[in-house]
Amino acid sequence: MNNALPAVLCVLLGIACACGLESSQVSVSKTDRIEVQYWEKWTGEEMEAMKRIVDKFNASQSEIHVKYLSVSGIADKTLLATSGGTPPDIAGLWGDQVVQFVDLNALTDLSDLAKDAGVVEENYIPAYWSICSAYGRLYALPTSPGSGALYVNRQLVPPQYASPETFPRTISEFNKFAEQTDRRDPSGKLLVASFMPRDGWGLWNMPYVFGDGFLQDGQINVNGKDDLEAWTWVKSFTDRYGVTETKSFRSGFGNYSSPQNPFLSGKLATYADGPWFSNYIRMFKPSMDWFAVPFPYPDNHPELAGFSTMNLNTLVIPKGAKHAREAFRFLAFVQEQKNMEQLCMDQQCNSPLSNSSQKFLTSHPNKAIALFDKLAKSSRAVPPVPLGIRAQIGSEVGNAVDQMELGELTPQAALDQAQSRLVAMWAKYQQQVLGK
Amino acid sequence: MRSNRQNVIGLLFASPWILGMAIFLFYPVISSLYFSFTSYSILKPPVWIGLSNYQELMQDEIFLKALSNTLIICAASVPLTTALAICLALLLNTKRKGISLYRTLFYIPSLVPTVALAVLWLWIFNGQYGLLNEGLSKFGIKAVPWLTDPSWAKATLIMISMWGCGNAMVIYLAGLQDVPQSLYEAGELDGASAWQKTKSITLPMISPVIQFNVIMGIIGSLQTFALPFVMFPGGQPARSTYVVAMYLYDNAFLYQRMGYASAMGWVLFLATMILSWVSLRLGDRHVHYGGGA
Amino acid sequence: MLSKQQKILLTKALQLGALLFLAFLFALPLVWMVVTSLKPLDETMTSPPKWIPDRIQVSNYSDAVTYGSKELGYIPFLRYAQNSVLLAILCITGSVISNSLVGYAFGCLDWKGKRWLFALTLATMMVPGPILIVPLYKLFRDFGWIGTFRPLWVPTFFGSAFNIFLLRQFFMAIPKELSEAAVLDGASPFGVFLKVIIPLAKPALTVVAVFTFLWSWNDFLGPLLYLTDQRNFTVSLGLQAFQNQHTGTPWNLLMAASLMVIAPVIVVYFVAQKAFVQGISTTGLK
Repeated sequence: MNNALPAVLCVLLGIACACGLESSQVSVSKTDRIEVQYWEKWTGEEMEAMKRIVDKFNASQSEIHVKYLSVSGIADKTLLATSGGTPPDIAGLWGDQVVQFVDLNALTDLSDLAKDAGVVEENYIPAYWSICSAYGRLYALPTSPGSGALYVNRQLVPPQYASPETFPRTISEFNKFAEQTDRRDPSGKLLVASFMPRDGWGLWNMPYVFGDGFLQDGQINVNGKDDLEAWTWVKSFTDRYGVTETKSFRSGFGNYSSPQNPFLSGKLATYADGPWFSNYIRMFKPSMDWFAVPFPYPDNHPELAGFSTMNLNTLVIPKGAKHAREAFRFLAFVQEQKNMEQLCMDQQCNSPLSNSSQKFLTSHPNKAIALFDKLAKSSRAVPPVPLGIRAQIGSEVGNAVDQMELGELTPQAALDQAQSRLVAMWAKYQQQVLGK
Repeated sequence: MRSNRQNVIGLLFASPWILGMAIFLFYPVISSLYFSFTSYSILKPPVWIGLSNYQELMQDEIFLKALSNTLIICAASVPLTTALAICLALLLNTKRKGISLYRTLFYIPSLVPTVALAVLWLWIFNGQYGLLNEGLSKFGIKAVPWLTDPSWAKATLIMISMWGCGNAMVIYLAGLQDVPQSLYEAGELDGASAWQKTKSITLPMISPVIQFNVIMGIIGSLQTFALPFVMFPGGQPARSTYVVAMYLYDNAFLYQRMGYASAMGWVLFLATMILSWVSLRLGDRHVHYGGGA
Repeated sequence: MLSKQQKILLTKALQLGALLFLAFLFALPLVWMVVTSLKPLDETMTSPPKWIPDRIQVSNYSDAVTYGSKELGYIPFLRYAQNSVLLAILCITGSVISNSLVGYAFGCLDWKGKRWLFALTLATMMVPGPILIVPLYKLFRDFGWIGTFRPLWVPTFFGSAFNIFLLRQFFMAIPKELSEAAVLDGASPFGVFLKVIIPLAKPALTVVAVFTFLWSWNDFLGPLLYLTDQRNFTVSLGLQAFQNQHTGTPWNLLMAASLMVIAPVIVVYFVAQKAFVQGISTTGLK
């Protein structure tokens, strides 16, 4: 039996590996402290920034040990683990998912814990606090946030617009600026576009520039007057450049995080993004001379000025967490101004707190941080739609705008179609998830 | 006639898999079938709603769009990939200097993690500076907007799927070793050309393997997920690259409609069954088993 | 008219041309990864494409290995590699043993319920994975396996539909006369399996081993869902460390790490491919 020997060896090797795996497997750390499991989406440098806070917390007291785990797909994994009854004590959820998780009854109500610990609404920028709450209760606490502004490449705009003070403030001024800034070669091929209203961060919220956005009196409304006005304005850029030319121009845009980012490669003169973008400029195009400005507002509507898209990373305690109370001590620790500012600075973000220290504003790596901070506090700051079907709204509206830009449907027809689908989805969601 | 002894021996050899199915597959499969008749959001207990999910699917324009995208991609990529893999395997089944290197080289795209690969493709298919358009411009072909035009985006996905033919190629290569050399020698005596030998000896001899690869190709392409998910978030432009697996994932984990997603999964299952069955029936006439089963 | 000699030469030349052209296309990803992994960050992803970096930065490789080690307190990459290697060996062992047994039952033996069970086996592959995730997770939780490696390797010891199907197709191609002769010599079914089938099926078994290695090495979803300690992570999970939310992707490090992750697979494949093509012809049975 000359085949027996390799077979036996094979089995032995397998057994050896099984033993090796079982013994190298880490499940419980040797510590007499209470171990708090913390799952977070961050990896790399962002993980390191948070790890420093975790280490600081672990060193600051002797009862609790927070164990950090980098998890991509944080929402799916937290959901699965919670459904299986084995959730982490803390999860770093995206802010725009908080409402849905509350609807699913997946999160611990933090209202009372927060009150006891002195974590109060007054300390926070309202838009961020609202992301953390649902139905009048608190379910999450902020970590690093974002707010959107318009980055301008000074070398690509006509001199009369080349400073924050002289940059257009209203939509019609911006239109004029756009026409003067576009550059084409003699054959009509675009070389520089002033602005591409769909390329940049937070521009999916365009209807909020013109009015109430996706909701009206709490009801989904993606085909109202403001929506039509917004997307017609967006489409006016495609119409001006030409559908084919837009397609071909945009197809040359490279990866966001690369020198081929359309703004960094000088294809776009302006670009909407959050505070972290200055870091990309530093990494890929350090020579760029830039400034940041607020987004323009519709003519004769100064009350609509100050539009800014908000997002937020949050910490939540899933239902069924074994050490909710201990977990909250870490949450409260992160909320201390010093720690929060350190985290946000290391992650290149603004701060969710209503008061920022002078040091934070002056030594922040983004020189325009004060603007981002101011925009976050604006009354026109737009947090994610507080409905459990936020993702569907984004997907339907995005598809509708694709269709109108490609000329498949008129703006009104495309938006009407999205509206009727969303109304049906919302009814389904209320019936199936909320049990109404 | 099979004796009892034969039955016992057969079952004994098959027992690991029978056990495996009973332990690791039976419960999940039955559960998901049950979920497909319920409204279920992972964290809340499922509620029986009968055929509602299936009825809704038949009227869901997004699903129908995703299904047609998936079928188009499948219909184009399976034959193309099969042809390419067979050609490669034939080319690599020769004695040539450095053939081991070639064999390895063709397999590498199947090894690279999807994330790293997707970045590369986006860069190659970039409409203005991409390698592909640069190459085409040498032949006087105007730049193609691979990623931003709905039809071209789908074509891009199909083309990329061909780079992943390495797995199939390996299987063909192993299958080619089973073709008896004597048949070729007989063919040569009859004065058959290389093409005739391939057509009347090689292909029939490796037909079980072709059948295997076609079925795996159908299953794989109907379940495509990672590449479009990374390259075309949300199935842009205008959902032209939105495939069923993406919509399924969105419903299961983003929209919290696990019941609906399960129903979608079972419809996809049915589609796979039908397509595989058709290809089996079409192929059976041509498939030749040396073992004579 | 071309002479026979010329015809053969022409065919050879055409073959070589096709081979070289296709090789060029298929080599692109690898070449691009290697080039990117040697560039400084600000030279990556440039267009028009730059194939030769101005400065070659070999330190990317050591940086990629130690990425994040300061904060974690150990070198994650080495730890992940150890986990992945052990898991892979275990999966290969399980997979080769179980699938060859089951493949033999389906491919060479005659028994009641075979056709029916085989159809069922094929059908299991057609159920999309995502809809099984939730019940599978609950199953492993009930076994108490969450946070352990077991969900990642134990199932391989019970076979997989793909490999069973693959081996069945190969086993069926083995001439029946060979096993019949062995039976006449007094061999038991297990003896036939071990002495006739296994030696003849070495190429196919190698394919199964390589595929299992690849699958286990690259599996991302399994480790992501079931592992709950960073020190238990595998290399495929480790690659996610290079994708940041706000601070940008270090492409050069990502590519260096990806290359180090696929290098063992390339080596294993390179060694194993000789066995694919060795096959029956060299054993002199046909």
